[in-house]
Amino acid sequence: MEQKLLSLQDEAGKNLDQLVDAGQLENFRIRYLGRKGQFSTIMRELGAVAPEERPRVGQLANTIKEEIEKLFEEKKTLLGGSAQSGAKGASSIDLSLPGRYPERGRLHPVTQIMNEVCAIFEAMGFSVAEGPDVEQDHYNFEALNIPAHHPARDMHDTFYVSDSILLRTHTSPMQARIMESQQPPLRVIAPGKVYRCDSDITHTPMFHQVEGFLVDTKVSFADLKGILTVFTQKMFDKDLPLRFRPSFFPFTEPSAEVDIACVICGGSGCRVCKQTGWLEILGAGMIDPEVFKMVGYDPEIYSGFAFGLGIERIAMLKYGINDIRLYYENDLRFLAQF
Amino acid sequence: MKFTIDWLNEYVNTDGITSVQLADHLTMLGLEVDAVTELFQELAPVQTALVLSVERHPDADSLSLCQVAVGAETLQIVCGAPNVRPGLTTAIALPGTTLLGGVKIKKSKVRGIESYGMLCSERELGLGTGHGGIMELPADTPHGQSFIHALGLSDTLVEVDLTPNRSDCASVIGIAREIAGILRRPLTLPVESAAIQASCATFSVDIESSELCPRYGARLITGVTIAPSPWWLRKRLLSIGLRPINNVVDITNLVMMEYGQPLHAFDFHKLAGKKIIVRYPRMDELDFTTLDGVARKLDADMLMICDGVQPVAIAGVMGGMNSEVSDTTTAILLESACFDPISIRKTARKLNLSSEASYRFERGVDPGGCLLAMERAVRLLCEVAGGTAEPGGVDKYYGQKPFNTLTLRISRTSDLLGVPLDYEKIADALISIGFRCKEKDADTLWVGAPSFRVDIEREIDLVEEVARLIGYNTIPTTLPTVQLSYPEQDTNRITRAKIGTLLTGIGYFEAINYSFTSEKHLQWLGLADGDPRCRFVRLVNPLSEDQSVMRTMLLPGLLENVERNINFQKTAIKLFETGKVFTPKGDNEQPLERMRLAGVLSGNRFGESSPYHCKQQAVDILDAKGAMEYLLQGLRLLEESTVSPLHFTLPAQDQIEPFADPLQVLAVSAGDQELGIIARILPAILRKFGIKQDVFFFDLNLDALCQLAPVAKNFTVLPVFPAVNRDIALLVPETVAAGALVDAVLQVQDPLIEQCEIFDVYQGDSVKRGFKSVALSVTYRSSQKTLTEKNVEKVHTKIVNMLGSKFEGTLREG
Repeated sequence: MEQKLLSLQDEAGKNLDQLVDAGQLENFRIRYLGRKGQFSTIMRELGAVAPEERPRVGQLANTIKEEIEKLFEEKKTLLGGSAQSGAKGASSIDLSLPGRYPERGRLHPVTQIMNEVCAIFEAMGFSVAEGPDVEQDHYNFEALNIPAHHPARDMHDTFYVSDSILLRTHTSPMQARIMESQQPPLRVIAPGKVYRCDSDITHTPMFHQVEGFLVDTKVSFADLKGILTVFTQKMFDKDLPLRFRPSFFPFTEPSAEVDIACVICGGSGCRVCKQTGWLEILGAGMIDPEVFKMVGYDPEIYSGFAFGLGIERIAMLKYGINDIRLYYENDLRFLAQF
Repeated sequence: MKFTIDWLNEYVNTDGITSVQLADHLTMLGLEVDAVTELFQELAPVQTALVLSVERHPDADSLSLCQVAVGAETLQIVCGAPNVRPGLTTAIALPGTTLLGGVKIKKSKVRGIESYGMLCSERELGLGTGHGGIMELPADTPHGQSFIHALGLSDTLVEVDLTPNRSDCASVIGIAREIAGILRRPLTLPVESAAIQASCATFSVDIESSELCPRYGARLITGVTIAPSPWWLRKRLLSIGLRPINNVVDITNLVMMEYGQPLHAFDFHKLAGKKIIVRYPRMDELDFTTLDGVARKLDADMLMICDGVQPVAIAGVMGGMNSEVSDTTTAILLESACFDPISIRKTARKLNLSSEASYRFERGVDPGGCLLAMERAVRLLCEVAGGTAEPGGVDKYYGQKPFNTLTLRISRTSDLLGVPLDYEKIADALISIGFRCKEKDADTLWVGAPSFRVDIEREIDLVEEVARLIGYNTIPTTLPTVQLSYPEQDTNRITRAKIGTLLTGIGYFEAINYSFTSEKHLQWLGLADGDPRCRFVRLVNPLSEDQSVMRTMLLPGLLENVERNINFQKTAIKLFETGKVFTPKGDNEQPLERMRLAGVLSGNRFGESSPYHCKQQAVDILDAKGAMEYLLQGLRLLEESTVSPLHFTLPAQDQIEPFADPLQVLAVSAGDQELGIIARILPAILRKFGIKQDVFFFDLNLDALCQLAPVAKNFTVLPVFPAVNRDIALLVPETVAAGALVDAVLQVQDPLIEQCEIFDVYQGDSVKRGFKSVALSVTYRSSQKTLTEKNVEKVHTKIVNMLGSKFEGTLREG
């Protein structure tokens, strides 16, 4: 009998290993552990064992049974759920039902991009400053070397409140405001709303810009390229081709426009990049000595660069938004996508 | 600025350079190319044809029946043109061709006779206005050829988006100079030098306002025959979208495009007194008709070109009808002048009249180039229009500047650009586009800027030229070496970011609305006339009435958003916005800009959450209040279960917003300071915004909120002993606020009271009319020992009695 018990233990162990579903497990239970199972059958032979051997064999039988039961329970857990669930009709949870969680709102895509842009520059040690939306002509134009009747004013379709007060057309006035009140070295970005009287599929009368500038001794155009290259790579993709080309802003010289390879077509030319393969994303340049003179900095000692970028445009490129007007309709079907 | 590659090739040889490469060169020189287009593609199917014979149409006197040779084929064509005749070479559109304006040519019967195509006039081909008959091509033009090929029309148009500083490139020669420089190829000019040796006795010029007219050149050409321009000239103008008019006008336009110097041709015989006077108009001369036929009202400070009697042109902007060149003109006074940019700009702005001439003068025309362009035009007038130039002329030159010589430091250039440069490199770059360079000392160059570069005035302008010419992409990419410093944080910005995180965390979407709005929206809210929010910062030039004033509240924008979303079937709405509102101060003063936080909520409380878990349930005022409690706790401005300085109260009757439901409105304040309100919006107000479902809102003064000091984080020792909870169900008159019961309990001075919460409010069958049942749960705890029921009995009884007497309440049994 002792032998039978040991081989039963061995056989049951091997069998159990091969079971893969709850049905097989139930058969196993009936076959080995059930009332008419093999274990019970062997136990009936206990009477035939010599009385002095009985306690020892009985002890062994119990140990083996406990062992098999333990293995059975482990296997049952492993196969997930009770082998008897079907038989007993116990309720189970339907895991295909939706999970339970509180509703989640979203920040506006403009805010999301704005935060991303600011974070990149803040990580490089730039501080953040905000200024008035309704600005003096002086800061918006004069202090930036754009006198009255300068053709560069054509580049800014300006909303006026009075002769000398207007809605700022760019965030660049913050350059003059900050330089006027602080001394170099300066590293500042100025995010905010700006306004132009222009409205069509690619223009809204209000949009968002981030102005940035760095002033110190010995700042070069190469440094401007460096900072903006870091920014563009962090904002888009580290392998994205980038080019700087000459442009004109009255408050910077040399001035540059920064293009990235078209993120839509990859540079082969499409409608979005007007077949050029390039997309303009930033205006920049070395701060013009006239601007320094107006705030009392000596351009022979200090040099610096400034740049400005449009948030909506970056969001359009990053997210593939095709109509700028969507930004200000606050349609939940739009807002929920970001 | 538009030009064609064929035209460009007159001045610089671009062989071996594709139009794409050319565009790339220009763009990288700062002359951004907007578009490159193949021209006249729509005329590709049109062919040349030779008229062999012409007979009268048997059934129509005005029609001719022609035999026309088109290469090897001879076709029968019915034609109505008066000039059709044997031996004429013309243009034919064969069946299948679609002409300008969508006219489709097909084989057809005209008055019973088959016609296999159409002989075309200039107008039908989009090449001019001539409609006197079919096109007359030079007799030696072979027939059966492609029309655009035969006329040499095939060309590529390049459009450059010029920056305002580069007026020198508002000319094909200017562009050619840049290309010649970058390709290091020679530049060929039609006229290299010009001078006026003697004055012309036939006419006189008198400049009364020389400060606005630095140079005035004029010549007289007689014996001119006005006629259509020859093909090569018309083609040039057509290719850049200018309409050919007649040989004289076309020549002035061509030379303007070529040299960037606007020219004007007067009919000399229409100039009274044979003289030109440059002066301001007299008060009786303010009505003036320009040659576009528009009667204009002048200002007294607009510079005019006048004859002996009256104004004949608006200087630098447009000529007058009274001196216009016409078909009968035989003598021309040609003007090549230069005017003050600001004066021209003001005039063009005021008259809302922009012309090719004013565009150039506003940006600065080189006074040094006046005579070159005039000489070029004079030669063309003699060649093309059969004129004879009278000897001599006029050249009044007041604004002659000394030759502009600047110094440029090599070290300064290298430092600013961040690239090592030497004399050779700098000089090579500058000389390539017409600058003159000479070594001054080891670190300095003398640089002579050509007069056409009116934008070059300072050393920094030369630094930019150097950078542009060596190419921005040859400048290295480095990072600045700067002193480490801690960027100061803007705390208001940080608070706004926290608000965004908190509110999106409970299902609110952030909205951004325009800062301008319509006055009408504020009226819809029912604001009283005296309400400070009805005083607006008004735009002088709004795009529309809907965007004419700066907003004084965020709510109207958000309500528009609610309406829009409902229209698109999004009825569960939770939106918030942080933004500025504007209050005017004085005239010519910047307004006060203040930040506010506002939100709206409407429709299903659980929004897009799974309906399996969250049954449809409409939001109410407590959702709005809850959002504010959650937000203020999140900002640590409102601490849970404590009497904080920040609180919600019922506003005084006269303080209630006119658009708020007086029964569902709460004021939020901190100490004495009002922060804002929470309310249900009256349905009548919502209907004006087109909204038919309940909307709740909150509106806070964000600047004030940002000023509040957050509750400090102070650790409290965790309780050691368990708490005892006792419930009280109290029947009180329905007017009693449940929250007042809680406040009363918490105000009882007893150290054992830890917390008191409302867990049920009930009105219904088992409660008598006019009363409600409020169930409170009070938590007692001691820091000294484990409490027993007996320990709390005394204080609990005290609370029950207090509530009973204070609120006329009775303990509710069962």
